[in-house]
Amino acid sequence: MRGQRSTIWIATAVAIASLMTAAVMELQDAGGSSEWRAALLRLVVYCAGAVGVIFLGVGYARMAGAVTSMAARLRSGPSSGCDHELPPAFRGLMQTLDERVAEGAEATRRFQTELKDLEIRSQLSERERRHTEAILYSLRDAVIVIDGSDRLLMANPPAAQIFGFDPENVRHRPLAEAIGRTHAGFIELLVQCRRNRTEATKRELEFPQGDRSHTYETIVSCVQTDGKVSGVVAVLHDVTREKEISQMKNDFVSHVSHELKTPLASIMAYSEMLADGEADDEETRKEFYSVIQSQAQRLSRLIEDILNVSRIESGLIKVHKEPASLTILIEDQMQMIRSYAEEKNITVTAGRAIVYDQVQIDKDMISQVIINLLSNAVKYTPAGGRVTIGTEVNGAAGLVRVTVSDTGVGIPENEVNRVFDKFYRVAANNKQAKGTGLGLNLVKQIVEKVHGGRVFVTSTVGVGSTFGFELPLATARQAALV
Amino acid sequence: MANKVLVADDELHIIHVVAIKLRNNGYEVITASNGAEAYELACHENPDIVVTDYQMPLLTGIELIEKMRGDDRTRSTPVILLTARSFAITEEMQQQLGVSACLSKPFSPKELLKTIQDLLYQKELVAQS
Repeated sequence: MRGQRSTIWIATAVAIASLMTAAVMELQDAGGSSEWRAALLRLVVYCAGAVGVIFLGVGYARMAGAVTSMAARLRSGPSSGCDHELPPAFRGLMQTLDERVAEGAEATRRFQTELKDLEIRSQLSERERRHTEAILYSLRDAVIVIDGSDRLLMANPPAAQIFGFDPENVRHRPLAEAIGRTHAGFIELLVQCRRNRTEATKRELEFPQGDRSHTYETIVSCVQTDGKVSGVVAVLHDVTREKEISQMKNDFVSHVSHELKTPLASIMAYSEMLADGEADDEETRKEFYSVIQSQAQRLSRLIEDILNVSRIESGLIKVHKEPASLTILIEDQMQMIRSYAEEKNITVTAGRAIVYDQVQIDKDMISQVIINLLSNAVKYTPAGGRVTIGTEVNGAAGLVRVTVSDTGVGIPENEVNRVFDKFYRVAANNKQAKGTGLGLNLVKQIVEKVHGGRVFVTSTVGVGSTFGFELPLATARQAALV
Repeated sequence: MANKVLVADDELHIIHVVAIKLRNNGYEVITASNGAEAYELACHENPDIVVTDYQMPLLTGIELIEKMRGDDRTRSTPVILLTARSFAITEEMQQQLGVSACLSKPFSPKELLKTIQDLLYQKELVAQS
């Protein structure tokens, strides 16, 4: 500031000196009195002009100084403590400016904080969305989400499979358009839920899947935000298998109780007759005893079957494997089934014997497999029919294959793959013969789980069925241990 | 003249023991091993009473009774249902089907005989009135 003032005074002195020099030069040039007055007048005017210029210069210099101070003040900030160097008028202005700047800074800071919060919330929200989507996409249940205008917001792959659409192509399309009119009942359920603002409702709905219908337990919930419906979520859980298992269990209890009660009925009736003396002679009594014995054995076999399935499934069964010839086992089982087949006038024949068909097996278990397949074939073949059992050896694959073919009632195509399921019975053949639905399951368990083989079946309704199994041939080392 | 009883069951041992019990007590017994055969005998042999199992090949006991109730020749013949599935047959079902009595397996031959005697007595009373 001092430097500025010195500059101003030097400039003023230079200006006055210049003007005085100019006046003196004028006076020297004037010479006479009238010219002298005129020269004096011009001197006064020059002096006045010089003084005016000086004051103007001082004013400008002061203003420049103030502006420079203000700029310096603005650069150094309010904490620099140099406000006293500013002109009083500028101090007020500076104070107001400082206040405004402080307010602006505070607003900017708040805005930046909010922006940062918003960014964090946005990142969290995005992360949550991705987590939710990952969960929904990994679910086996179908999930569909629609917005408040019934437009599809999200559908996971199981939902896409049920309704047959590409989830990415149908996003934001109206629900009815995305999943088609064939599912009008489902669409109506979601729309009603939205309209009624239903918090949660559960229904059982049927949807076609391939060649059969699946049952889905469907939970539909309305999503509300600030009292407004923002969307509807539907979760569809496939309960088809659960229902089938439940039905199979019920059927099993029903079948097993019937199967258990039938031999028990004979045992009780015959023993009562014996106790009441209704068997007159020794021969009749012997016959009654024999019936009681055979029915007790039947009961025991049935219980053993149930327990065997349970033991194999739980891995608790004792297995005693040894090398054995399947042809010999088949011969033994054919002897056992022959009387039952003759009762029904059914011919049972075996293919030609095979030289080497040694397998490493539990003989009792594989005998059970053969007898189950043979008795099933006889059971479901009408009188006068034929049952053929054959053996093939595939040396290259190291397998021996046993087939039991019949000219029986056959199995409908849509049920043929399920006949090895536990407790499953072919509905159409229920009247043909009784059974627990355990025999073929036991065959599968023994062949596949205990012996590492494979079961198979082919069938044509009205023509007959071929059931069979494959087992690995015994190695030369195993066979040498016979 | 002895009363004629038709016994239908696919369990031959059951047919045998029931037949012995009834014959020992003066009844004439005819037998069938499936529902279709039983229906034929019921129509053509005119039994006084029918004893049938619930689960049989070709026609179940229930289907046999339905067919009999729809046929003038067998509409009023008393029927006793033997079943190992007694839980599946409610009293309402019995009334609707026209089952005269239902016995659960295992059953007592003495109880069956008594039931047959009671039903034939009732039938006789109805005929007399």
